[in-house]
Amino acid sequence: MILADKESIALTEAQMAVARAPLDGKTWLEGIASSGKTSAGVARVLHLLERGAPAESILIFVPHRSLAQPYITALRAQNDYRGGHVSVATIGSLAQQMVDMFWFLVADAAGFKHPRDLPIFLRLELVQYFMTRAIEPLVDEGDYFASVRIDRPRLYSQIVDNMNKAALVGFPISEIGSRLKSALASGVEQAHIFEDAQTCALAFRRYCLSHNLLDFSLQLEVFRDHVWETPQARQYLRGRCKHLIADGVEEDNPASHALLGDLLESCHSALIIYDSDAGFRRFLGADPASARRLADRCDVRAALDESLVSGRAVKALGSQLAAQLSPSLAAAAGADPRPALITEAHRYHPEMVDWVARQVDMLVGQRDASPNDIVILAPFMSDALRFGLADGLRQRGIPVRSHRPSRALRDEPAARTLLTLARLAHPHWELPPTDFDIVFALMAAIRDLDMVRAKLLCEMLYRHGRLLPFDEVRAVAMQERITFALGERYDRLAAWVNRYINGERADAIDIFFRRLFGGLLSRAGFGFHDDVDAGNTAQNLVDSARGFRWSLDFFSRYDEEIDLGLDYVKMVDRGVIANFYLRDWIADADEGVLIAPAYTFLLSNRPVDYQFWLNIGSEGWSRRLYQPLTHPYVLSRAWLPGAVWTEDDEQRVSRETLGRLLLALTRRCRKAIYLGYSELSESGYEQRGLLLETIQGLLRRLAREERHV
Amino acid sequence: MFKPRPKQAEALAYRRGYMGVAAVPGSGKTATLSYLAAQLLAEADFAEGQEILIVTLVNTAAANFARSLNEYVKGDGLLPGYGYRARTLHGLANDIVRGKPTAAGLDDQFTIVDERESNAILAEAVDAWARRYPEAPDAYLAPEFVDKGHYRTQKWAEQLSETARNFIKQAKDNLLTPLDVGKLLDAYPGELLLAEICAEIYSDYDRALAYRGAVDFQDLIRLALKTLRQEPAYLASLRQKWVFILEDEAQDSSRLQEDILGELAGEGGNWVRVGDPNQAIFESFTTADPKFLREFIAAAGVDGRELPNSGRSTRSIQRLANQLIAWSLEHPHRAIRQRMPLSKPYILPTPAGDPQPNPPDDPTAVVLFAEAYSAAKEALMVTESCKRWLARNPESTAAILVARNTRGSEIVKFLRQAGVPYVENLNSSSSTRAVVGALARVLAYLADPKSAGKLAEAYRVWRRDDRADPAAAAEIKAASEALKRIKQVEDLVAPRLSDWLEDRIAENGDEGQFADLTAFREQVGAWLRAAEMPIDQLILTIAGDIFRDVNEIATAHMVALYLARLAQTHPLMRSPEFAAELYDIASNRRRFTGLSDDEGQFDPDAHKGVVTVTTLHKAKGLEWDRVYLISANNYDFPSAEPNDSFIGEKWFIRDDLNLSAEALAQLKALHDASGYIESAASLNARIEYAAERLRLLYVGITRARKALTITWNTGRGTATEATPLLALRTWWEGEREKEMTCEPQR
Repeated sequence: MILADKESIALTEAQMAVARAPLDGKTWLEGIASSGKTSAGVARVLHLLERGAPAESILIFVPHRSLAQPYITALRAQNDYRGGHVSVATIGSLAQQMVDMFWFLVADAAGFKHPRDLPIFLRLELVQYFMTRAIEPLVDEGDYFASVRIDRPRLYSQIVDNMNKAALVGFPISEIGSRLKSALASGVEQAHIFEDAQTCALAFRRYCLSHNLLDFSLQLEVFRDHVWETPQARQYLRGRCKHLIADGVEEDNPASHALLGDLLESCHSALIIYDSDAGFRRFLGADPASARRLADRCDVRAALDESLVSGRAVKALGSQLAAQLSPSLAAAAGADPRPALITEAHRYHPEMVDWVARQVDMLVGQRDASPNDIVILAPFMSDALRFGLADGLRQRGIPVRSHRPSRALRDEPAARTLLTLARLAHPHWELPPTDFDIVFALMAAIRDLDMVRAKLLCEMLYRHGRLLPFDEVRAVAMQERITFALGERYDRLAAWVNRYINGERADAIDIFFRRLFGGLLSRAGFGFHDDVDAGNTAQNLVDSARGFRWSLDFFSRYDEEIDLGLDYVKMVDRGVIANFYLRDWIADADEGVLIAPAYTFLLSNRPVDYQFWLNIGSEGWSRRLYQPLTHPYVLSRAWLPGAVWTEDDEQRVSRETLGRLLLALTRRCRKAIYLGYSELSESGYEQRGLLLETIQGLLRRLAREERHV
Repeated sequence: MFKPRPKQAEALAYRRGYMGVAAVPGSGKTATLSYLAAQLLAEADFAEGQEILIVTLVNTAAANFARSLNEYVKGDGLLPGYGYRARTLHGLANDIVRGKPTAAGLDDQFTIVDERESNAILAEAVDAWARRYPEAPDAYLAPEFVDKGHYRTQKWAEQLSETARNFIKQAKDNLLTPLDVGKLLDAYPGELLLAEICAEIYSDYDRALAYRGAVDFQDLIRLALKTLRQEPAYLASLRQKWVFILEDEAQDSSRLQEDILGELAGEGGNWVRVGDPNQAIFESFTTADPKFLREFIAAAGVDGRELPNSGRSTRSIQRLANQLIAWSLEHPHRAIRQRMPLSKPYILPTPAGDPQPNPPDDPTAVVLFAEAYSAAKEALMVTESCKRWLARNPESTAAILVARNTRGSEIVKFLRQAGVPYVENLNSSSSTRAVVGALARVLAYLADPKSAGKLAEAYRVWRRDDRADPAAAAEIKAASEALKRIKQVEDLVAPRLSDWLEDRIAENGDEGQFADLTAFREQVGAWLRAAEMPIDQLILTIAGDIFRDVNEIATAHMVALYLARLAQTHPLMRSPEFAAELYDIASNRRRFTGLSDDEGQFDPDAHKGVVTVTTLHKAKGLEWDRVYLISANNYDFPSAEPNDSFIGEKWFIRDDLNLSAEALAQLKALHDASGYIESAASLNARIEYAAERLRLLYVGITRARKALTITWNTGRGTATEATPLLALRTWWEGEREKEMTCEPQR
């Protein structure tokens, strides 16, 4: 986010009033995007501190950690540190922290089999790992999900998703199947699918309880049903939250809202910030209707309804598109939207990508646009699209940045290098790297080593899963081909690995990575020296492996012996989705044109001058994620028992979702929207999604009006 | 501007309801349908999101429709694609399923496995089954092959794959899951061995697909229909969306396609079906049958129309085609006759004053060879004839039509040797294969970066745009020869102690070459640094460096996605394997549909003075001034006669059984709870095949505008002239004789 400093400095009167509300007042602040709500929130925190509120009595509560970034940035910029820290929390982090703290008080009552042992908190990677262990045999033996065609990782993630939704909304996980069945099952086959999903959820829950494992849903349930019921816990949290700032509550879930409701009762002051057109993270349990109920618990209601960002034509474009989709969303503004709408149709997808690069180049070169003020958005950003865009822009000398927070670790070259060397250093795993992996690992690990020499080294010195020393190259001519300088670096690497193999005992896998990185690869002459990206990836890998080890260390007392290193490498090889690492988001604050999925851009809450919307034919602009085992609306708080999800519901939701999205995007755009359209999608299919339909409708109407005039 | 002739105008008077149109080759049915779509688009006041749904047989046709309709909407400042949707059946099924994937047990990210992947999965399933039941071949191998290892293993597995593929396809067309087939087998009173075998393989195949979160093409269609039937509200929304359905090439419509479009149109809906039942050539082992279209046109409540006029061919060629219809109606083989492979209307010339008059007639330009040539002799003769004719007619178009791809590749060799300019329209088009080949060469170098030979190949790829210029071609040759001789490639691409460019090239004083290779060195350096990127990104990077043409770039993009999918399912694949995969496509060993194939780029009139080599199937919808229809023997065009051989009957299988046909008959017995008699299905398959090949012959004849030559060869020595050809030739010779005798009197 990161709001520009100038905006946090120049507050409007309305913002000022919110920020300077009395220290015993509770304010509900509602407004449209880019009306300066978060700026008011930041100013409020600073005002509290200024007025002497102890930092540790302030809690900033957000649905997603990245949304706290403007607060953290502003707090870091504070010069007069007076001790104590403002707490920043999400429902997840708070639940985990509290469960951890009060574990021994509640573990028994919560049904854990080993209440005297420590709990094992599972992050995303480990949930995927344990899901496979707990559910796979059941699915195979029971021939579950016979009529479903989705791969196992996605199957498991939907089961986890159901459990998380149950916890966030507050119904027992044993009701997942019946809710889905009554609302969605149009045949016996579908009914079976939901029954299987129910069985698996319960099985995973049993597995967790008997092994002291806490996935997100269980952390939340234990927190809500047990920890929060203990007076000690309430007292503790209330003490830490005398002043509450909750930003983006519309993106948060009912569990968060319930907690905020409780805290509102006890805190001295509060500012609850709500975006009236948002609520995008439905698939993660976002529930704007539940959020809105918090307004009743506040004494003051404030509103910020004037966009501080969009120009007239952009505003008109947003409101006219939204009104076309769902009249309840916006009244169509009368101005002519055409000056804000630039488009060109192409037949092929690469032509469109090239057009986008040229337009950005023109904006930067001829209109003095800053690359930071340009974003390129698509509903989904495939690697190939991201790469094509980034490459096209870089060739024109335009800096680029992009978000890739949910990428698999194995897709990062630096992580692959470390994993290849780990396999090499652990011959007893019997997972020898392929020649190609060795070539790339050598290239990445040894500074200045080119692929030809890496290939030569591999052919001559990689034997039976081991790297031989450089002097095994007998011919001097060949040594000269490699050069002695590179040979010496290779020798250090090979010696390091061989020393490790011959050492008395193997390191834990995270320690191995850390030693390899710190002791060798980050040194001068090696590949990760002075490479921030590689350093970040290595650090993510270390964190991930350490989390894995800590969890599994405890776990192994309940289960069979596990080779932690081997299991970890196999898990990463399977392509598990990586945990969330804040450092991936903070790195985004760099300069450059942002390439990101549309919703990711919204979460960063940063207005820009120009937006490019790509693949406007894609259904992804309007449609929720379709997943056969789960459903965001049926598993929401507002869902009435026994109701049936209909096609009309589906269409209404699609239209509303798209309308809201377009409003949110245009409100974060100052000057113009460029539409990237190719008749054939990236995969060669013609696409006719709702966004394209809506734009065609607008163009047709404008053409008719023009003719009429 | 399209000016409809009277019969076309009758069809264009359509405004609503069901209409069926039987058209003859060259009658302008697609143009008429396009015009009808544009007319409806202009007249109907569509609500937002409403569209005309146009369903075609192949992507090429869909793209052609798109192009012509986009012209109509451009004027309104709209983006292309407004108001219509042109789809193949697969494309339509994809739209339907993706609109509500959960109804089919799928999520948003489901993948569709292509033919290659599907075959690989099936091969694994067959292999596993064959290993479990090593004694199984005993039941079907002919006695003289029972003890031959090669036949018990490899040949048996191949045959089993083919049989299981057809069985699975048919089971899916009948909406039967492996579980359903299992239940039917349990309930069936007798033993159906082939069905049992195929059912087990089907089950394994299906599980493997589910594990990958994937569906195959048949699944897509089956699931589309299932979704429509299971989700009435969704169906209603689609009916609301697609206000008109226009279906081209309806003669090849399968039972499922009919059902899907029938559901979408609904009672009282608007559905126009246009086709030529005589050109139904995709029916083998499918549920398609040209009789469906005939029945539709004749049904009550359907406005039946004909487009009998064609201006494509000379009268002589039309008469020959009409004679084939007439002969088939009196076919000597009763069973074939009863099946009515070809039917009226006969082709009529265009009326006077028509914008597309028939070419002037020249009966001497229709030549049906009686001579029995060997395959090589036939190829040589056609090549020479072609060469002579093209030299005399550089502004005309010509084609050699073959029944099989392999024969096409043989002909290409002859043409190449004789220096006859040619263009291929076989598995993949030449332009697609050129793109794939270029990428394969660069990848091959990256897989073996110390190879000077491969570096030289990569260099030639890098300079591919300059090859047409003779001076540049000489430079390229010289530079690539020099590159081939490099002893230590790293001295060029990553010099450290010695620099090949400085040492060798700079010393020679050839500044042009020095500059050129310096630039190439930078290029290779960039590729080598990129080599670790995921394969799709690597391909896009290379493509950006070597292709300029937008079609080539788009095709490279398809290659990138294809390899990315492959990498997903085969995580251990690396550059050498990817390069090998691309070489397979480039050398036509593996089918790959690039955009240039899909986009209807193949326009015979764009290849004047060049002969096109194409299969008969791919020639559908196309026309040339001169056509050679070759290999018209009883192997490619059998007539269910005792000495005919059938591709589906393998010499190592006992009793001339066609295992695919037998397996399908067993499936039918299960499905209808009817009886099964061994061999009956194999005999019936001969009849069906003969009927379809007769239509294929008809398609071939009607591709010619002005001149037609039909030849045949003896194949491996035993093939004879195809019976229909013999009949046509005899008739034609008689006609010619009559004309000759009449002429002096005139």
